Amino acid sequence: MKIIVPIKQILDPSGMTFRRDKERMFINREEYIVDPASKAAIEAALQLKGDDDTLIAISMGLPQADDALREALAMGCDEAFLLCDNAFENADITVTTSILVAAILKLGGADLIVTGHQSADTGSGQIGPRLAEALGYAQVTDVSAMSTEDGVLQATRRWGTAEAAYATVEAVLPAVVAVTPEAFPPRYAHGARIMSAYRDWDVPVWDMAYLGLDEAALAPLLAFRREGFPPPLEVGERFHGDPADVAQEAVMALKLQKLIG
Amino acid sequence: MDFSFPKEYQLFRRMVREWVENEVKPLAKVIDREHRVPHETIKKAARLGLMGVPFPQKYGGMGGGEIGYCILMEELGRACSSTGTVIGAHTGIGAMALYLDGTEEQKQKYLVPMAQGTAIGAFGLTEAQAGSDAAAIKTTAVRDGDDYVLNGAKVFITNGDIADIITTMAVTDPALGAYGGITAFIVETDTPGFSIGSLENKMGIRGSSTAECVFQDVRVPKENVLGQFGAGFLTFMKTLDIGRASLGAATLGGAQAAMEASIQWAKAREQFGAPIATKQSIYFMIADMAIDIEALRSLIYRTAWLIDSGQPHILEAAACKTFGSEVSHRCIDRAMQIHGALGYSRDHWIELGWRDQRISEIYEGTNEIQRIVIAASLFRPHGLRIPT
Amino acid sequence: MDFTLSEDQLMFKKMFADFCAKEIRPQGEQIDQAEEVPADLLEQAVDQGFWAALVPEELDGCGLDIYTYMLMLEELARADMSTALILSVHNSLVVKPLIDHGTDEQKNRYLEALAFGEMLGAFALTEPGAGSDAAALATTGTLDGEDYVLDGTKIWVSNGATAGLFLVFAKTEEGITAFLVEASTPGLQVGYREKTLGLRGVSCNTLYFDGARVPAANRLGEGGQGLKIALGALELSRLGMGALALGASERALEEAVQFSMEHIQFGVPIAQKQIIQNYIADAKTQIEALRCLVTHTAWLADSGQDFGLQASIAKLCGARTASAVTDKMLQVHGGYGYMKEYAIERYYRDCRSLEIIEGTSQIQQFLIARNIYNAEGLAIQP
Repeated sequence: MKIIVPIKQILDPSGMTFRRDKERMFINREEYIVDPASKAAIEAALQLKGDDDTLIAISMGLPQADDALREALAMGCDEAFLLCDNAFENADITVTTSILVAAILKLGGADLIVTGHQSADTGSGQIGPRLAEALGYAQVTDVSAMSTEDGVLQATRRWGTAEAAYATVEAVLPAVVAVTPEAFPPRYAHGARIMSAYRDWDVPVWDMAYLGLDEAALAPLLAFRREGFPPPLEVGERFHGDPADVAQEAVMALKLQKLIG
Repeated sequence: MDFSFPKEYQLFRRMVREWVENEVKPLAKVIDREHRVPHETIKKAARLGLMGVPFPQKYGGMGGGEIGYCILMEELGRACSSTGTVIGAHTGIGAMALYLDGTEEQKQKYLVPMAQGTAIGAFGLTEAQAGSDAAAIKTTAVRDGDDYVLNGAKVFITNGDIADIITTMAVTDPALGAYGGITAFIVETDTPGFSIGSLENKMGIRGSSTAECVFQDVRVPKENVLGQFGAGFLTFMKTLDIGRASLGAATLGGAQAAMEASIQWAKAREQFGAPIATKQSIYFMIADMAIDIEALRSLIYRTAWLIDSGQPHILEAAACKTFGSEVSHRCIDRAMQIHGALGYSRDHWIELGWRDQRISEIYEGTNEIQRIVIAASLFRPHGLRIPT
Repeated sequence: MDFTLSEDQLMFKKMFADFCAKEIRPQGEQIDQAEEVPADLLEQAVDQGFWAALVPEELDGCGLDIYTYMLMLEELARADMSTALILSVHNSLVVKPLIDHGTDEQKNRYLEALAFGEMLGAFALTEPGAGSDAAALATTGTLDGEDYVLDGTKIWVSNGATAGLFLVFAKTEEGITAFLVEASTPGLQVGYREKTLGLRGVSCNTLYFDGARVPAANRLGEGGQGLKIALGALELSRLGMGALALGASERALEEAVQFSMEHIQFGVPIAQKQIIQNYIADAKTQIEALRCLVTHTAWLADSGQDFGLQASIAKLCGARTASAVTDKMLQVHGGYGYMKEYAIERYYRDCRSLEIIEGTSQIQQFLIARNIYNAEGLAIQP
């Protein structure tokens, strides 16, 4: 089985401070990390991968996304490819999809593509479904468990809004799976593999020309105007009155929210 | 000159930091309160190759060298000195002695499992009358057939009660004194006659055990002589010399954590109408921390580089330990002052860091001994011997 | 200038020293471990006059002058810091303000109980939003008929769980006002006890005032006079911190000198090593400088002069001295200094509090600088 995991490198959110009063975000520590959703995808793929299977990590990003791919290799991926070109700079979700699809086709397609359900920075949640549509593969999103047998994927995903309601979905491979990050806490890489991640692997860089993409394919549909804070929300409920009464009301409210038994 | 860490070390640091944050830090206060070693953490560390970071992969290690090991110790120092102490005594001195002076057979038999973390190590040198004066040890090793029989008691041995292997120094010829009369032995702790006496009740690093180790007619096969017979003093000096660099790295982590906590608190806490970070009394303290930390960081990693490139490092490593422990003292003390009453409360991390820090000026050679080592290395080329 | 102690002062000093050495000192380790000073020990201290140090002789107190009171605190600290702090808070921060500002009726009502062990005193000033910035306190005192109703929260109140009488500071119409509040007052609840690094025998608690009714007759001093009363009390208490630091530093030095003579390395007691001798000499030098400072400040107080500036200096110097001396004396002990069987690690932990409690060292710096600049006509802000 050939598994491809598209991963994303993002700015570490814990190095950012959001100041509503100043209407902007401050980056107090500029560090890049592998998106937690991507790491969960790698973990999900590693759990599924058998000895005869190949796991390939790809990433569309800046040159430094090479570090993210090295981390994927350290975790256990077999190969990694960086999709990088100046022309990719203004990519929106449609363009990103085109680039990833071009790479996946260059690799000869896959039996399974595993992505994160939603990235920590832009969080559109669209990559999985868009890849499936573009490639004509089956798609299952928000997956918390999965297995494959004889070319069929069995995936467990949330179902509706009812609490603890799940559905098991079957899909014939090839398929795209978008995993729920919480269900796949990523493993830590073994130290020895970290040491060899940069020494023992090549990460080829594929540009626009190599991927056979022209300017039309790279023209974004979305224009970015600005970013800002949403309007302030009044959240929560206030209770007033006698402490004993207030305590009762608060307990009732917590019980209704099923936060206490 | 390129002062940047090679990419694999940057990746290693990132991954270790995440591991420490999720697996080590949450237990820091717990093990202090419960006065126990975090065995669960040690097992996890072993599975990731973190119990043998400096050793080559052919000996079961991670192949990270001294630089990699200092990175690990720094990251552990940021979160939990106790865990750092347990791993440090195991890797930095217990197993390190084997790496420096072991035969190939000994390395395969003992270093490999220690590097893989399936066997835990300790370093058995100190005795009640032989602390700073390490040469004054009295534990004896007497030849009997194919064995040496060890008798004596060691004190203040980190990991003493959890170790499988203790690299032990014993007197093989009292007449020859320190040079020629002491030999290093590899002792398996399940050997009959080895037992644990008392466990110390310490002010800090309570998540590590400090044990009295008793040797009563403990038979050690002659194959377990470590290094040259009679040259045990050199073995332990060499081991302690190298160990000092990574101890310094641990204190760097502690100082860094103190500064980061201070920055977070100072910007959040308001008194006199503004965050206390805007008050000179406070931000000057933080600036002083940053200066100390920058200087220490350069010293540590340059020394690690000296070690990895096979260059002389005795003075630098002693400086790492001395400067590092004194920097971390200043930094955690300033952090406590910045946190005010909260710093004095056991509900917060600062007082734990403060208690844990203090031992770093004392163990593995007090800072007074370090200064003797440094002075001796300065005057030796001039032909002058510095007395202790 | 005559630095000789009078016969009375010598008698008191000996009495305090003997009691502390015999009864309190041996319990130091246990007090730290159990996080409690035994009630019977505090009772014994009553008989020795420790609770009535500053109560005038006419009211059956010891009527000590400030200097002799400092000798008392020094001996207590030498024996055990927790016990010393408990009694310092009681005497400096509750008994003394009551004597200075109380009406005859208030003194009649409370001094005897305070002096003879029925009521331990505690001082409730600090709040979550008012630490160094004490004036920012938010606890309110609303006049309602013949009572004031107190609402608010106080934190880090030493003796919080053991006190019978609290000196509480709240905002009334006139400004910050002081109140004598009995522990049994309905609406006053003693809450969470802080877990501390050192001074573990002292109970530091959060106090909740929720509609607590305090008779107007329990207002100490005038409305709006509270901050002045608090700062005045803190002046004496800060001098007392200097005395505590002195006793603690002397104890640390004593421990180290003993240890260095017994502990043999390189064939000789470590006392024979020059660097150890230097540490001992430096500690002694710092201690003697502090002693002169405390003595001089106590004399200023006893001769009726302003001593606030000197008290801040004594506290600042004391805190730094105690930290430095306990640290170095711990180093003299080597590895043994880190073990709980030796008293030094307890003193190291206990003395670290002195740079924080009763006005941090940074606040003392500000007060000292302000005193200097105000005299030159320049106003400065913290």
